[in-house]
Amino acid sequence: MNAMVRNTNELISGLVDDLKPAVPLRFSRGVAVAVAALVLTIGLATLGLGVRPDVASGHPHGMFILAGGIFLLLGIASMAATVAMSSPRVGSGRNGWGWAAATASLLPLTAIVIALLDGPSAWLASDPGHGVICLGFSLVLGCIVAVVLTSWLRRGAPASPERAGLLTGIASGSAGIVAFGFVCPINEIMHIGLWHGMAATISALAGWLIVPRLVRW
Amino acid sequence: MRSDDATLARLMALSQGGDKRAYAMLLDEAGKWLRIYFRRRLPPDSLEDVVQEMLVSLHRKLATYDPSHPFLPWLAAIARYRWVDHLRKLSRTHETAIDTEFAVDSEEEAISAKLSLERLFTMLPDAQAKVIQLVKVKGYSIAEASEASGQSQSLVKVNIHRGLKKLAAMIERE
Repeated sequence: MNAMVRNTNELISGLVDDLKPAVPLRFSRGVAVAVAALVLTIGLATLGLGVRPDVASGHPHGMFILAGGIFLLLGIASMAATVAMSSPRVGSGRNGWGWAAATASLLPLTAIVIALLDGPSAWLASDPGHGVICLGFSLVLGCIVAVVLTSWLRRGAPASPERAGLLTGIASGSAGIVAFGFVCPINEIMHIGLWHGMAATISALAGWLIVPRLVRW
Repeated sequence: MRSDDATLARLMALSQGGDKRAYAMLLDEAGKWLRIYFRRRLPPDSLEDVVQEMLVSLHRKLATYDPSHPFLPWLAAIARYRWVDHLRKLSRTHETAIDTEFAVDSEEEAISAKLSLERLFTMLPDAQAKVIQLVKVKGYSIAEASEASGQSQSLVKVNIHRGLKKLAAMIERE
C-alpha cells in the first residue's frame, strides 16, 4: 500500500507539473452560447425559407404564439439543464425541464385525443404532406443546437451521459421546431401536436441514443 | 487536520488560475478525502488505483468546477461517476473482503454524509444493493452471492445490472 501511495505522490507531482490555467465553464456563458445557436437557427430558417404571412404582417396567430412559446420554454429549460450538467455536483436539482416537457406534451396529447374522437378526418386535418416537411426541416435545423450543446458537454464532465443526451435531444428538437414554426403557416392543433410533437420526440430519442457515447469521459 | 470545503474551494480557484503550489496542496487533500470516501466501498487492493484515476479525472476536468459553488459536492459527483464506472468494469477478481468496520472520523462522516456512496446505496432496493455489495465490492462469485442472498443466480445478475443502472442515474442526488 505504501508503494501505491508513493506512486500517487509521484502522480501528483506529474499532474502539478502539467497544470495549465483553466477557464471555468460558466453556466451563464454556456446558456448564452446555446441561445445564440437558437437565434442563428431561427435566422437561417426565416432567411432561407421565408416567414409565415401572419408573422410577416405583424399579426401572428394565437396558435403560433402559444405553440411556439411552449416549445421555446421547453428548449430553453432543457438547454439550461444540459449546460448545468457539464459541471457535475451532488445535490444539484435540475428538474425544471421536466415541467416544461410535461406542458409541451399537452400538444401531442390533445392531438391524440382529437384523433381518437374524430377518426380519419383528424389525420387529414394534420396535413400529412406538409407535416413530413415540418418534421424533416425541424430535425435538420435542430442539429445546430445539438452540435453546440454536445460540444459543451464534451468540454464538461456530465455525470449522467444518458440524461445529458436526452436533454440535448429535447433542446435541439425544440429549437428546430421553434425555428421552423416561423415558416410553417399551419395553425391546426392536429398538425402541431402530431408533426411538431413528433420532431421533438424523435430528436429526444436520437439525443438519448447518440450523444452519450460522444460525451462519456 | 483535514481541510474544509471553503479552503479546498479556494485552493481549487487558485489552481484554475495556474497556481502550482495551491494545486499540489489541493491534490494531496483531495487524495486523502477520496481514500476515506472510497475505503468502505472498494476492496483495499483497488482503492489506490481508483484514487489515482480520480486525481487524473480531476486534472482533466479542472475547468468543470464552478468557483461560485462548494467544492466537495463537485468532487463527490466525479467520485461517484468514477466509482460506478469502476464497478461496471470490475470483473470478478476480488476475493478479499473489505473491512466494513473501519473507523471513520465522525466529523468527516457528518460533513460528507449527504455526498457519500452509502447514501447512494440506501436509495437502491435492498435486493440490488446487497448483491452489488457482495459481487462488486466483496468479490463474491455469482454462485456465492446467490447462496448468501437467497436470490437465484439469474436474479443476482439482473439485480446487479439494474442496480448499477440506477446508481448511474442517481449520481448527483443527495
